[in-house]
Amino acid sequence: MTDVAAITPVSKERRIAASRWFAPSDRLFHGLTMGAAIAVLLLLGGVILALLQGSLPAFSKFGIDFIYTQAWSPARDNFGALAPISGTLITSFIAMLVAVPLSFGIAIFLTEICPMWLRRPIGTAIELLAGIPSIIYGIWGLFVFAPFMQRHVQPFLINTFSGVPVLENLFAGPPYGIGILTTSLILAIMVLPFITAVSRDVLETVPAVLKEAAYGLGCTTWEVARRVMLPYARAGVLGGVMLGLGRALGETMAVTFVIGNAHRIQASILSPGTTISATIANEFAEAMGATYTSSLMALGLILFLITFIVLAFARLMLLRMNQKAG
Amino acid sequence: MTVETLDPIAKQADTTMPPKVSIENLAFFYGESKALKNISLPLHDRKVTAFIGPSGCGKSTLLRILNRIYEMYPKQRAEGKVVVDGLNILDKGTDLNMLRAKIGMVFQKPTPFPMSIYENIAFGVRLYERLGKEEMDERVESALRKAALWEEVKNKLHSSGLGLSGGQQQRLCIARTVAVRPEIILLDEPCSALDPISTAKIEELIDELKDDYTIAIVTHNMQQAARTSDFTAFMYLGELIEFGETKQIFTHPGKQQTQDYITGRFG
Amino acid sequence: MVDLYSRRRMANRIVVSLSIGAALLGITWLVLILGQLLIEGFGALSLAVFTEMTPPPGSTGGLRNAIFGTAVMTSIAILLGTPIGILAGTYLAEYGRESKLAMVVRFINDVLLSAPSIVIGLFIYEMMVIHMGHFSAWAGAVALAVIVIPVVLRTTEDMLNLVPTGLREAATALGAPRYFVIRRVAYKAARNGIVTGILLAVARISGETAPLLFTALNNQFWSTDLNAPMANLPVVIFQFALSPYEDWRKLAWVGALLITMAILAVNIGARALAGRKAS
Repeated sequence: MTDVAAITPVSKERRIAASRWFAPSDRLFHGLTMGAAIAVLLLLGGVILALLQGSLPAFSKFGIDFIYTQAWSPARDNFGALAPISGTLITSFIAMLVAVPLSFGIAIFLTEICPMWLRRPIGTAIELLAGIPSIIYGIWGLFVFAPFMQRHVQPFLINTFSGVPVLENLFAGPPYGIGILTTSLILAIMVLPFITAVSRDVLETVPAVLKEAAYGLGCTTWEVARRVMLPYARAGVLGGVMLGLGRALGETMAVTFVIGNAHRIQASILSPGTTISATIANEFAEAMGATYTSSLMALGLILFLITFIVLAFARLMLLRMNQKAG
Repeated sequence: MTVETLDPIAKQADTTMPPKVSIENLAFFYGESKALKNISLPLHDRKVTAFIGPSGCGKSTLLRILNRIYEMYPKQRAEGKVVVDGLNILDKGTDLNMLRAKIGMVFQKPTPFPMSIYENIAFGVRLYERLGKEEMDERVESALRKAALWEEVKNKLHSSGLGLSGGQQQRLCIARTVAVRPEIILLDEPCSALDPISTAKIEELIDELKDDYTIAIVTHNMQQAARTSDFTAFMYLGELIEFGETKQIFTHPGKQQTQDYITGRFG
Repeated sequence: MVDLYSRRRMANRIVVSLSIGAALLGITWLVLILGQLLIEGFGALSLAVFTEMTPPPGSTGGLRNAIFGTAVMTSIAILLGTPIGILAGTYLAEYGRESKLAMVVRFINDVLLSAPSIVIGLFIYEMMVIHMGHFSAWAGAVALAVIVIPVVLRTTEDMLNLVPTGLREAATALGAPRYFVIRRVAYKAARNGIVTGILLAVARISGETAPLLFTALNNQFWSTDLNAPMANLPVVIFQFALSPYEDWRKLAWVGALLITMAILAVNIGARALAGRKAS
């Protein structure tokens, strides 16, 4: 091998010949990736269109009344979405009431209180738990948690609040075990790792200098968390809560096992109820008749719209947080 | 190519020959802000031209125009002319891939690809040439020899390039560039991330490479410029202050600013 | 002064204990669930689970057809969803970046990422089951693929964004066209991350129940026909758990244990891979 051979430039013709395919291949690959990206948009469009199309018969038969009537009678072919909608909203609301403070507590524990060597194992465990499928929570809820509620918690609630105005009605009736409250608590357990993981991530983006400055002024852990970390991370934490809410609203399996599938709105949160997702899961495969199927589709559409709004809001909040951190 | 002879006397006198690259009235914009204005200078064939100046003066920017690598980013644009072998490479019709195959570049930080040493070098070659196994082996070896890396890696050609030391990685990047058989090599502060010993090796290498290639090197190290280059361009705030033979720039600079900079009074 | 200080300290002590309490409570809860799952699941685990079909009501059997069905549909879903997810993620990271289209796709994808999976089931029912006239493994796999896409897309984009610009510039400076730089250099550098994304998608879909309820449905028998309903673990667990038969309930626990263990294993594998540096 001589040096001269090494320095002979490759001839222009050879390079032209070799690079002939570059531009077309580049365009092809660009087009391919863009096509895939557009496919994602079409997917969303497809979901909305399919649900719209599927729910058209129900909406044309019942009109807007569908949303706020309570009837649910396959026998009479008469359907209204109020019970599932309210069940979805109420269970998610109670679940958030329980899960959000707990999640914050754990997140603050993980970022401020927990000894260093324990942070990673606990953090990882929580992230792994967020990946456990919801059907596991459902089956545990059915076999373990609901009987426990029936035997211990519900009788206690009923006895304690009997005679207290308002609360008496909220915690009334025989202890079924399953029902709105049990479902809400299962949902809370389910979204707990989820909100915790997001909140912890967000709280970790709070610059150390801010915290150090506050501790340096003599602030306590609680004061640092409340006056420095939460205000700084507010958008992100809110985003995390909304993501959790989106999960809870759309959750199917953890709910279906323990909700009781009753299309009646009752004052007591100990009574069985239903949610949109549970109704669909329980009834869709066996639904007979166009109106019945279509009414279930319409429920799906409503659920999708509710979660879409919540999730869109969550993403906007997290986006704002990222811009702050970046 | 205009210089056919390797006669040493001719090499010294070749500034009278048409330059390999001729930069004319070049300006550069990052979005709205003008980073380079009115730059004109030649790069002489098979000579080393050094670009010096305080950071932010636009020397790296200038280098990044010569292979139009700035085109990777949407809001950057160049105006003026850069004539290479008689053709203005800033013309719209220029084939960027071929331009870059002809004008190689080595970056500040070593950038070995996440693949074996052998594959790192074959990567660029395969783009434009269909070589048999033996030919490719030869090409890889000669590129590594040129980059003074062969002896150190010949027994581990198929282990990852990421396992090499910083200095070795940078020489691997030079070998990778050489293997494509460019005519011009752009070096963008190639030693700034390296230790003194690796730096010395790379400087030696530059000295050898200039027999075959036209070289432009950006450096913030004035000794390096003085040691390695034949010509030096001093830039300041996006403008070319002075250009000339290195010896002259470092001994009798024509401008006060140049003198201040090379004597360390600012920058 | 002292009063205020001790009040602040008291408040702090209360909140710190509450937060430790929350952590303990949360962890206890989750330990209870996993503990129960382990006890019930391992209690009923036997070789028959892997060798026998799902039994008719009131008799013993296994989960062989369901395990097979879940494996088949998960694999098909990954094969269908991964290329689209990777390509679209590539578009966002390499071509689209800050363009309008990229911003919209990024946002929509984030929403799809946590959209209720039962709605995906309805969508596929409307798009496929109605037109084919029957439930099928294909429909189930496609529904799962729809869930795979946003997961893979998101990780692919994130991982490509982590590839140093220097690598792309270096490859480009050798005269490599863009598609070549992406496919030969960026993908290579991001490979572990992208594989991690695929593993996360596997973990995500292998326990999904809701989208299969009215797409793949269930099948009591051994079936390899992708055009027919196919058994799968999640739906079997759902049906069996809600049944009055003791044998079925036991199998439901075993199925739940199998799924959870598989998902934990895949998740831990994904983490290990993500923690490792590229090649």
